[in-house]
Amino acid sequence: MGQGTPGGLNKQPGDRKQDGDKKDKKFEPAAPPARVGRKQRKQKGPEAAARLPVVTPLTKCKLRLLKMERIKDYLLMEEEFVSNQERLKPQEDKNEEDRSKVDDLRGSPMSVGNLEELIDENHAIVSSSVGPEYYVGILSFVDKDQLEPGCAILMHNKVLSVVGLLQDEVDPMVSVMKVEKAPLESYADIGGLDAQIQEIKEAVELPLTHPELYEDIGIKPPKGVILYGEPGTGKTLLAKAVANSTSATFLRVVGSELIQKYLGDGPKLVRELFRVADDLSPSIVFIDEIDAVGTKRYDAHSGGEREIQRTMLELLNQLDGFDSRGDVKVILATNRIDSLDPALLRPGRIDRKIEFPLPDIKTRRRIFQIHTSRMTLADDVNLEEFVMTKDEFSGADIKAICTEAGLLALRERRMKVTHVDFKKAKEKVMFKKKEGVPEGLYM
Amino acid sequence: MLYLPGPDDMLVLDIAYMIYLKFEEFPSALRIALFLDNMQYVKQVFTSCDGLLRKKQFCYILARHGVTFELDDEIVTDDDDREALQEIINNTKLSEGYLTLARDIEVMEPKSPEDIYKAHLLDGRASAGANVDSARQNLAATFVNAFVNAGFGQDKLMTVPSETSSGGTTGSWLFKNKEHGKASAAASLGMILLWDVDSGLAQIDKYFHSNDNHVIAGALLGVGIVNCGIKNECDPAMALLADYISKEDSTTRIGAIMGLGLAYAGSQNEQIRGNLSPILGDGKAPLDVIAFTAISLGLIYVGSCNEEVAQAIIFALMDRSDSELGDPLTRLLPLGLGLLYLGKQESVEATAEVSKTFNEKIRKYCDMTLLSCAYAGTGNVLKVQHLLGHCAQHLEKGETHQGPAVLGIAMVAMAEELGLEMAIRSLEHLLQYGEQNIRRAVPLALGLLCISNPKVNVMDTLSRLSHDSDSDVAMAATISLGLIGAGTNNARIAGMLRNLSSYYYKEASLLFCVRIAQGLVHLGKGLLTLAPYHSERLLLSPTALAGIITLLHACLDMKSIILGKYHYVLYFLVLAMQPRMLMTVDENLKPLSVPVRVGQAVDVVGQAGRPKSITGFQTHSTPVLLAAGDRAELATEKYIPLSPILEGFVILKENPEYRED
Repeated sequence: MGQGTPGGLNKQPGDRKQDGDKKDKKFEPAAPPARVGRKQRKQKGPEAAARLPVVTPLTKCKLRLLKMERIKDYLLMEEEFVSNQERLKPQEDKNEEDRSKVDDLRGSPMSVGNLEELIDENHAIVSSSVGPEYYVGILSFVDKDQLEPGCAILMHNKVLSVVGLLQDEVDPMVSVMKVEKAPLESYADIGGLDAQIQEIKEAVELPLTHPELYEDIGIKPPKGVILYGEPGTGKTLLAKAVANSTSATFLRVVGSELIQKYLGDGPKLVRELFRVADDLSPSIVFIDEIDAVGTKRYDAHSGGEREIQRTMLELLNQLDGFDSRGDVKVILATNRIDSLDPALLRPGRIDRKIEFPLPDIKTRRRIFQIHTSRMTLADDVNLEEFVMTKDEFSGADIKAICTEAGLLALRERRMKVTHVDFKKAKEKVMFKKKEGVPEGLYM
Repeated sequence: MLYLPGPDDMLVLDIAYMIYLKFEEFPSALRIALFLDNMQYVKQVFTSCDGLLRKKQFCYILARHGVTFELDDEIVTDDDDREALQEIINNTKLSEGYLTLARDIEVMEPKSPEDIYKAHLLDGRASAGANVDSARQNLAATFVNAFVNAGFGQDKLMTVPSETSSGGTTGSWLFKNKEHGKASAAASLGMILLWDVDSGLAQIDKYFHSNDNHVIAGALLGVGIVNCGIKNECDPAMALLADYISKEDSTTRIGAIMGLGLAYAGSQNEQIRGNLSPILGDGKAPLDVIAFTAISLGLIYVGSCNEEVAQAIIFALMDRSDSELGDPLTRLLPLGLGLLYLGKQESVEATAEVSKTFNEKIRKYCDMTLLSCAYAGTGNVLKVQHLLGHCAQHLEKGETHQGPAVLGIAMVAMAEELGLEMAIRSLEHLLQYGEQNIRRAVPLALGLLCISNPKVNVMDTLSRLSHDSDSDVAMAATISLGLIGAGTNNARIAGMLRNLSSYYYKEASLLFCVRIAQGLVHLGKGLLTLAPYHSERLLLSPTALAGIITLLHACLDMKSIILGKYHYVLYFLVLAMQPRMLMTVDENLKPLSVPVRVGQAVDVVGQAGRPKSITGFQTHSTPVLLAAGDRAELATEKYIPLSPILEGFVILKENPEYRED
């Protein structure tokens, strides 16, 4: 009931005006809840605001210093203001006082019950685990936005009025998947992959921010995308960038996390995951290494394999099943797309397949630039040599080369990374990659 | 450069200017000159650069900035050329360009307020519950209609009869409004025909012969709106309005005075000063006339530090009796004074000293207003601290000066991105600790900080505040939701406002605010912006800012001004309206369609080489719309833009080295 429609069942916004009129009277009914229905867990306000703005440029320079100082000035000002306020009107004492009052009202012990139905903004029908149902009042300090039929509540031990609610029935397994702190990588940190960025933006971000565009054209926005390509080509990096830039909730899972010990736990986790995603919508679900659960079906012999297949079937259902998922977009990533079950990839479940190729020369140059931008390089370093080389590098290899070169320089206690370091690093990385066959041996 | 303290910053800018000039990067030099607000430098750029096309580009930049600049013989010798250049500065072609954009994007079709409300998306109850007083609803519809169809020259309420040629239909909508509502309705015609002086005046003309004073007042205001930002050689606004400013009826007078203020904002026109100043000294003039005169003078002499105007307003303030000082409209007088010193920093000090002698009731208010105006757009941390200090006090006597102080924080901090984001944080604290009068101003300050730039966190905060139990906070938050989404067609804000409209369906005044906000979100069908900053957030257009803060100050006392009979203060927003477009024109100033990449701007300052300046881009062909934080670059080598910053009108020159592949 009340699928979050804000024009919901039983709120009476019109009462407000009367509130104003009878100001001089003692009792004022509490303001009606902003909405009735599904719980709203997203309280982004203070947390989102607590983040400090990003300071560009990244290199250490005067401008960066000045900008940092500016931030410091503002923070000092905030500190001064808050401490002044605390001195004038100590918030904590007041809070303490309020809290003890609330505790008095609540009484102790409180019984746990179930909210059956909301009658109006101040009354509800409740039931406890044993015994009949009661029509009781809701105390004014209970957050009515959070009440929904079926949730667990605290009741006064004598008069049974609603004095609080028990939150947190989400599987803790799912709540850890939520990305609370956005990763630091942004689109600007991706070298190349322009086509891929554009495609993922169109498929994932645009439908969440501008659904009306798709409405106008008359198509349904794509539900999800799969990113595939060789290892180290930036699939996960792109997903991180999406998480960084989007304002939607970002849930990330690794495929192997969905495999559980007990029968039925895996599918349950998938269900829970998508339920949470729906609650927190608009949201993006990112499942890395999907081949852990998404391999082709065949006659399984062991119970374990069958369980994995059932987990995948649940995933199929959640992606495109009977219940429609609203603002939930799915990003899958794998490097073995050929082994995935065709049902998983059919249009309607995963509409877009985005390939990540090995970087070409231009992209390689960009990636080198990104990785070396924060390194102290000696004058003789000529990156072009590595950029133009014929060897197949992935983005991760290039990062490894840069790190390796830095480590080599560190080993010799030098402050700058030289060209020779890079050369050695490259050979080392290529050597490891080709599993011991030295470069140039069979050329 | 905004981050440097003390006198260093001016030095750095000076040097930057010299370097640009030396290496013939004239457009960049011009931007710095405008940033310094140094007309001498602007002139120097013109004289040291030859090439008519380049000068034309300069004129476009000046026109967007909204400054008055008279070209003389030294700058351009040829008379014809000078005329052409002056025409660009006078913005005469703005309407044409805007309509070209509208045609290209195919949004010429007029929209009715019902298209904006989208009541069918709500549950049945809300649309059925139309028991609000219909006059107010009609007034809201008038404003929504004016905002949505601004500048398009056609709509579904006011200009219909031009097709049916009955002449009665427009009257019928006009007369669906009551008394002062008619003034706004008549003035809305000016908004619809914005920037199109010739046909605008022709259409408004018929209202002058009305025998209803309110309609005449509206028509006078409409003339002012049409001429806003446009200068015409025959000065039609002056000719039409000057006669009415000494009329008996105060409504008509206000219409004429406000019209003049809008039409000549920033022009520092001597003749108008001669006409308006005596009103301030007139002991018999009613308070509202004096208040609007002060604002109009403030707009006309915005940022000029003009001594005589300042004197006139100061005397007017001193003459007020105690009871008059308690009137909500009195707040416009200090504001008019403040506008004179907009962005002028230290120059305000003498006047600030004088203001200390004022009546106690207005003294602090005046002090805050002057300070915040003088340091608006400077990002001066010390001033923010000072203002924050005033907000930290808990008052018992019901003083009003904390409202402007909160607005002042936003005005000072809006200069750069960092300050802006940190100011948003500070405002959160104010919300937490502040008394009711501070809480009322915080949404407005948020609205100013993020004007036409709907940031998600601000949107959430405002949405929360719009359900506040204090109706003043809720109203301010609602209006601010409109301001941050102004001209973006943002689906999320539109959805929030739709829900608010059903939530408040019984409360006429809040519903009115919701409607206004809905109109603002769809401002010019999404083609306009209210952001006073342009040219990659470097330059601040003084008239635009002046218009916005006038409205915000009026919003500090929503009940008696906007919800009372002075709702036409909403039209002050017209000063800030600008099309958010990139229009490329060829050497003959004819529109030219070229492919451009539009994407999110990346801060590339301090990076070596030629880093990617935009990310996640898409390719379009001009004219295109630019959202807040977007940047455009040419996707073809065939042309060279004459300005490094692709915004507004940009002249393209063919690249002589270009070869067809």
